[in-house]
Amino acid sequence: MNRTILAVDDSASIRMMVSFTLKEKGYRVIEAQDGREGLAKLKEEQVDMVITDLNMPNLDGIGLIRGIRENPVSKFTPIIMLTTESQDTRKHEGRQAGASGWIVKPFRPEQLLAVVKKVLG
Amino acid sequence: MMEHFRQTFREEADELLAELELSLLELEQNPAEEELIDRVFRAMHTLKGSSAMFGFDDIAAFSHEVETVLDLVRDGKTAVTRELIRLTLLARDQVKVMLAVTAGAFPAADSQAEAIVAAFRELIGAEATAASLPLDASRPEDSGTAMTYIISFRPDREIFKRGLNPAQLLNELRELGACRITVLTDGIPLLADLDPELCYLQWEIILTTTHGVDAIHDVFMFIGEESSVEIEASHQKEPAAEEMTGKGERSPAEPARNDGGQEAAGGRENQEPLGISSIRVASEKLDHLVNLVGEMVTAQARLSQTAMAHNDAGLIALAEEIERLTTGLRDTALNIRMLPIGGTFSRLRRLVHDLSHELGKEVELVTEGAETELDKTVIERLADPLVHLIRNSVDHGIESPQARLAAGKASRGTIRLTAAHAGDSVLLSLSDDGAGIDRELLRAKGVAKGLIMTGAELSDREILNLIFAPGFSTAVQVTNVSGRGVGMDVVKKGVDELRGAIGIVSNHGEGTTVTVRVPLTLAIIESLLVRIGSDCFVLPLSLVEECIELTRLDIARAHGRQLVNVRGTIIPYIPLRERFGISGEQPEIEQIVIAEVDGKRVGFVVDHVIGEHQTVIKSIGRMFREVQGISGATILGDGTVALILDVQQLVSAEEISERQKLASETMFMEKGDNICMKEQ
Amino acid sequence: MHEGTVTETAQYLTFTLAEEVFALDIGKVREVLDFTGVTRVPRTPEFMCGVINLRGNVVPVVDMRRKFGMSVTEKGVNTCIIIIEVTVDYETTVLGAMADSVQEVLDLEPDQIEPPPRIGTKLNIEFIRGMGKRDEGFVMILDVDKVFSADELVAYGADEGLKLL
Repeated sequence: MNRTILAVDDSASIRMMVSFTLKEKGYRVIEAQDGREGLAKLKEEQVDMVITDLNMPNLDGIGLIRGIRENPVSKFTPIIMLTTESQDTRKHEGRQAGASGWIVKPFRPEQLLAVVKKVLG
Repeated sequence: MMEHFRQTFREEADELLAELELSLLELEQNPAEEELIDRVFRAMHTLKGSSAMFGFDDIAAFSHEVETVLDLVRDGKTAVTRELIRLTLLARDQVKVMLAVTAGAFPAADSQAEAIVAAFRELIGAEATAASLPLDASRPEDSGTAMTYIISFRPDREIFKRGLNPAQLLNELRELGACRITVLTDGIPLLADLDPELCYLQWEIILTTTHGVDAIHDVFMFIGEESSVEIEASHQKEPAAEEMTGKGERSPAEPARNDGGQEAAGGRENQEPLGISSIRVASEKLDHLVNLVGEMVTAQARLSQTAMAHNDAGLIALAEEIERLTTGLRDTALNIRMLPIGGTFSRLRRLVHDLSHELGKEVELVTEGAETELDKTVIERLADPLVHLIRNSVDHGIESPQARLAAGKASRGTIRLTAAHAGDSVLLSLSDDGAGIDRELLRAKGVAKGLIMTGAELSDREILNLIFAPGFSTAVQVTNVSGRGVGMDVVKKGVDELRGAIGIVSNHGEGTTVTVRVPLTLAIIESLLVRIGSDCFVLPLSLVEECIELTRLDIARAHGRQLVNVRGTIIPYIPLRERFGISGEQPEIEQIVIAEVDGKRVGFVVDHVIGEHQTVIKSIGRMFREVQGISGATILGDGTVALILDVQQLVSAEEISERQKLASETMFMEKGDNICMKEQ
Repeated sequence: MHEGTVTETAQYLTFTLAEEVFALDIGKVREVLDFTGVTRVPRTPEFMCGVINLRGNVVPVVDMRRKFGMSVTEKGVNTCIIIIEVTVDYETTVLGAMADSVQEVLDLEPDQIEPPPRIGTKLNIEFIRGMGKRDEGFVMILDVDKVFSADELVAYGADEGLKLL
């Protein structure tokens, strides 16, 4: 059965890379370019996992994480943050808001897949 | 594939840099605006992250330095000053250069980047911080020596609410080696008190693995402080035990999908991500599409004509349907090419900023109508003319702060750039509150260059229009910014090539306003098809107000003057048959097409008005560039060529020729009467 | 001018204007059409016949006899339009040249071509690349880029007093 992952990042190139890496392994990927769009996509359908950047316009990663957790449907959906090393405080904030884990940028495709596998199984 | 990502990254970076520049310039005007500070930081931050992702370490390292500074600004520890903006703009330019190098440009000396970073450090008074790119987090190597560990895993009750599934972690442990897992169920309350969203279980695991303790820590990487994991190396080697799965391992997040997700992406994966709200399209594809649409329009016209000729109701109905669809297709295709002009405005903003610094002037650029959309090609071709106009304005228009104060003006000059739709055109206007143009000086220069005769009577508009003559420059001091009279005639040429019009109004001492009118689209326009003799012509329908008859009687009534009375208004007309020298017999009753030109109503006399026509504009080439009154051609349904009339030029040419005639007649008269002649 | 090696032979299309034979570098010739209706463009000099529709493109047509100041005769059954490519200022334009008839493609060795004489041709020497020898006579090889380069037209209606653009 195909698992669906929502990838949220305001950088088109990163989205593209995440999407390509995951799709190659058989996951289905939906994209959004900021938190607001991410929440909108989630209204349309359930996903098995969310991968999100933290720094985005309109609604940032933290806001998105909160929004996801507040919705009973996605309360338990794994959320992975894409962070940079300078963002320890944000990482903490993200976890407080309910994120499952994180990947540090820059990351290699294999690292992304490893984390996804860890969380999704 | 990597190259594809890189290309996307480059395009994205270009956009980011453009946005960054705009934000920085705005920030300079509004240094306290938090939203802007945030935007600037984010842009640099994203650049850093993405460039590192795709292997551009030099860009990543450099932008990291800048991001560090911007972070301080965000936290309020460093203020937004002019120097900061200047340095950040330089940094932006540096990134742009570095980007170009990745695309194959020659690398310049590295000192620019270092200098900028050093300047930043000085600004914030910081010591050199080593740019640290994050370390690689990969699984530790398999050491080969099997070790046994006792792991106590006590997850936090709320662990499900963070999207984590303990069962999944246990699976991961199993992958490391032989496991014996025991679940501890003491924590489970009575059913009445049980909250299914909480995790009441704990586990004891005995794991024998060659991967080392770090691998085990990795498994529990995400669980956080609230949960606890204790790992103890056992010095007893336990035989590989059967694994025991815990009881009651149900959780709302369904576990145990060991086969999951690894299916080949066969035919199943045919659903496109729903995410993207806009897509990039190569320009050539768009051009090709518009060309095809143009040909479609022509073919559809022929179809309609043929259908009418056959007088077959079914065919006619079908032809109408095709026409409806073709029109829709045309409008959509042309609309795809429309972009807001705001992008160009931003570029100009930077130009004004740099120029005013360079020339020691204080200039502010105010824009209006940035959301106005124009055809992509029109925008591209307007860029250079606008740059020239801005240069002229800052260089020759706006005076130095001292001069302005002396003249009773504010020391800061303003250039106002606006764009707005007007029918099927876009009106752009660029006005400054600078020195304006000295008409006498202009006239004198015109005489000196032999463009006009001394004593010739010229309207204000004609004098100002001299500025568009080639090689004309009244700049006393040729600065290296505007160059030697290279501006205005080139601007006019650019506008003409777009089938547009340019005009200039100026008041000495007060300022100058240049207006440019360009068509919304270069490809297809709605026009009125007319015929004179056996030749066909078209006029833009948006300018046409009405068509009335012109009888021989009407002509006689006017006693040789080309005027006609239309419901009380006197309207001048141009007899095109005569002007164009078309042979053949003039019909008894002709048609006047009344159009609005420059705010006035003018009539154009033709033999027949055929009807509306969707004109796919074809260029007639540079050979006809100077022909006054014809701006292009189109191919009719029957394959013949119809010429596109430029009504504005027709009227201008008429004005000029009438004035000539009048001048020479006057001369003649005065000569005949032996009156002392004015110098001609 | 074409600096070829001794072995390089170039091909030329010969055509007639009135009784005289001219030639064009075949590389510049795209195609030859029968003379069909030409739409006259008003306010253009006499040597501009007008424009034609060439598979959806609007192409100007020049009357070469008028351009060279030769006598004008009626269009005959062999009158045709030679579609040529002209390069001026790094820009390539396509246009049609009206000819009374088209003859043949001629191979000319470099030693069969002489530089144009300064007098006697009654044509602007700039227009002629060389004189090709054929049988007992000669053909004037035209330099199309030069012939059609000076065609910035002066519009009718722009008068002496006000020489604006």
